[in-house]
Amino acid sequence: MSKRRMFLRMITASLLRRRSRMLIALLSIGIGATILAGLVTVYVDVPRQMAAQFRSYGANMLLVPSGSALTREEADAAMALIPDEERVGAAPYRYVYLNMVRRQQSFAAAGTDFEQVKRTSPYFKVTGRYPEGPREVLVGKGVADTVGARLNGVMELTWFPPSEPQEDREEDFDILPGMTLTGRAQGYGSREGFNDNPVYVTFTIGEDGMIASLSVDTSSETAGVGTRCSEEDFTALFIGKDPKDLVLGRDVDAVSGATVTSEAVVRAIMDAKPVTEESAVLVPRTINYTVVGILETGGEEEGYIYMSLADMGAITGESDRLDLVELSVSATQDNLERYAEEITSSGHATARLVKRVTKSETAVLGKLQALVFLVTLVVLVLTMVSVSTTMMAVVTERRREIGLRKALGASDGAIRGEFLGEGLFLGALGGLLGAALGFVFAQVVSVNVFGSDIRFNFWLLPITVIVSMAVAALSCLLPVRRAVAVDPALVLKGE
Amino acid sequence: MLFRMIKGALIRQWSKMLLIALTIALGASLATSMINVMLDVGDKVNEELKAYGANIVVKPKASSLLSEIYDVEDDGTELKQAWLKEDELGNLKTIFWAFNIRDFAPFLSISARIGEETVSVTGTWFNHHLSLPTGEELDAGVRSLRSWWDVPDGDWIDEQAPGADREIMVGAALAERLGIAKGDTITLTGTASEASVTVRGVFDSGDSADEQVWVPLDLAQSLAGLEGKVASVEVSAITTPDNDLARRAAQNPKALSRADYDTWYCTAYVSAVCYQITEVITDSAASAVRQVAESEGEILNKTQLLMILITALSLVGAALGISNLVTASVMERSREIGLLKAVGAHDKAITCVVMAEILLTAMVGTAVGYFAGLGMARFIGRRVFGSSIDIKAVVIPVVAVLISLVTVAGSLPAIRMILRLDPAEVLHGSKA
Repeated sequence: MSKRRMFLRMITASLLRRRSRMLIALLSIGIGATILAGLVTVYVDVPRQMAAQFRSYGANMLLVPSGSALTREEADAAMALIPDEERVGAAPYRYVYLNMVRRQQSFAAAGTDFEQVKRTSPYFKVTGRYPEGPREVLVGKGVADTVGARLNGVMELTWFPPSEPQEDREEDFDILPGMTLTGRAQGYGSREGFNDNPVYVTFTIGEDGMIASLSVDTSSETAGVGTRCSEEDFTALFIGKDPKDLVLGRDVDAVSGATVTSEAVVRAIMDAKPVTEESAVLVPRTINYTVVGILETGGEEEGYIYMSLADMGAITGESDRLDLVELSVSATQDNLERYAEEITSSGHATARLVKRVTKSETAVLGKLQALVFLVTLVVLVLTMVSVSTTMMAVVTERRREIGLRKALGASDGAIRGEFLGEGLFLGALGGLLGAALGFVFAQVVSVNVFGSDIRFNFWLLPITVIVSMAVAALSCLLPVRRAVAVDPALVLKGE
Repeated sequence: MLFRMIKGALIRQWSKMLLIALTIALGASLATSMINVMLDVGDKVNEELKAYGANIVVKPKASSLLSEIYDVEDDGTELKQAWLKEDELGNLKTIFWAFNIRDFAPFLSISARIGEETVSVTGTWFNHHLSLPTGEELDAGVRSLRSWWDVPDGDWIDEQAPGADREIMVGAALAERLGIAKGDTITLTGTASEASVTVRGVFDSGDSADEQVWVPLDLAQSLAGLEGKVASVEVSAITTPDNDLARRAAQNPKALSRADYDTWYCTAYVSAVCYQITEVITDSAASAVRQVAESEGEILNKTQLLMILITALSLVGAALGISNLVTASVMERSREIGLLKAVGAHDKAITCVVMAEILLTAMVGTAVGYFAGLGMARFIGRRVFGSSIDIKAVVIPVVAVLISLVTVAGSLPAIRMILRLDPAEVLHGSKA
């Protein structure tokens, strides 16, 4: 029989014959390996999982226009610089003031993408639901309380075009048949702080060079008085009149009681400019929305009215413009800073970090990581020591056997080698078993705590097996060496 | 005789017993440290999460999203603005959950002019010293509520230093635009008065405050002629994550049953703390800042759950480890047990002797392990949070019961098994 076969036979025989003891040793190593694999997997994955939890604090990066405006393409190009898997959410925002004409109040309104808002602002508390279809709005609690908005109620909002004159318009032009002109003039006005929105006119020129049709928008005027200037009784008076030479009282009569508004209409027509391709018709737009949700945050978001970007585009006529993109990125502070720099230098947009979120997150996350690290370390060290004491106990018990073998003429080296082999075998088996159980534990933790699958590190499998083998072998060798050193006669005698 | 046998075994087999005691001590220290850390981790992490700033905002009841929403300048003429009273702020430390209120700061935003430029000025407390009627002394202010601010140029205003009421801090963006640096003296002109002030520091906040000037509250009040008035108060409180009861209570506390109401009132839910604040500050409405309050609850729950699972794993590990070793040590003594049986000892007596030995060893091990565990918990607390972990007395019985159960569970079946065997076979060494 070859030496090697004898060696193998002795190990397997010892393992088989002393089943219960070997089971104990195996169990012990298995527990150690389970804890090693499980805790290290959790430890390695915890920063990623916890960072994801911290995204509940909302956006940690903002994209703002680097020039005058931010388009969707620019925003998308800027966001492409951040890896997809790190981008938790990206909510675009477009802010304008919309007016509730009847109440003579204006409110800040935001157009956004609600699917993304749910990701970037998970702390939003919506009574009702988020808008899904067209013409649905989510109303901040502050706004709702002020105007008495109810769920499923109707909210009429008006958008007034910005009142600064557009400079790119030509000053000199000839009035030609078929042309459409638009103009505005300050009317009776309204309460200060609501709007200084003028009266708007839009008219077309007939074959004779005179006014062929006219529409007047008096949304900002006093209801029932100034608004009568937009009725056909009044606008019909202008048909066939020269838009360059209009005098109130000579060409048309003012609406009684609304002289100021009537004058404004005349001035608006005289000052009107042709509508070109770039300039839209200057008309306020009024749209009725359904309130589908009331938003509570405890912050200033409660003072806004939210609608989809499509609705915002429909009311303002600008579908492509964004004022801000809120980004929620799951990355370390260093990486965030790097992304922000890359985006800013790419010229698509300017990226800013929300310091309140990034700085606090770094601080708290660091502590949590340190906690899990220390806990893992303590548990591992204690477990490994515990495993080796058990192994030592199992081996010490076999001093008699060692003595007998020695008495029969086995060399110290052979005995040591044999025990080492046994230890390594048990270590490998226990390590494999433990690694499997450890991964199961890590997965259970991940699913229960974070609600997502854990990311396995497959290099942890060989590491677990190697560490288990090392611990088992070391804790075998120590008592064996002591037993070998003693005179076999004494060992056999049991002293 | 029993005593003598036990004593003999312990002394003669000291090295084996030491191994058992050591393993049990390891298990006990693991259990002690992990349970202590687990029980205290919520408070500790909660404390850390205060870095995110206030989780409660107090505003006057009648107001006042007015200036926020209507975009109306609150110059006091057009709309009758409501205010909170500065002298009532100390009351915050008299509510039921006063101890949980970590910090608070009042705010008053006004506009003032620096030269021709109109700037937004925020009056607040930086580290305001309060002596409460209860005899308590404390410093409250924004220094901890704005932990994310950097003050690269200059320093925070120290309200307790002389001359602090004529010092201001300027936001980085505004300072750059107006060419202001630390140490400059500028004149702030408010609606009621003007003041010559020194720039104490330039701060970088990463939000809209970068465009503002921050001044001590008294200065802002005198500039705007609003002595003793405050527009809002931010409160940072340690709270318990919301549950169903808290959510129902937040809707309307009056709708709760008496027992539910008491439970809710006496638990540090954010809604309960808010409610108690409105009780002590006249005409106020306190609301939770959901961005902070919700996330806090989320992260606390997750951290606690994580620690519970890790603790559970280490406890199972320790328990298996101990019972494993105890089983091994009993089996090792099969020859001795066989001999005792051969000389006529009753099964019961043998079990008693062996169990007593092991339990005695376990007791020593547990005691040593408990204190080692406390040391470990302290170490973790100091290293991670910079403060000791609270030692809970309840851990002692838990660890004691756990270790005894595990020891008994590890040794009894093994003793039984050996006793069932024929002593002759055991002594011969052919079995077990």
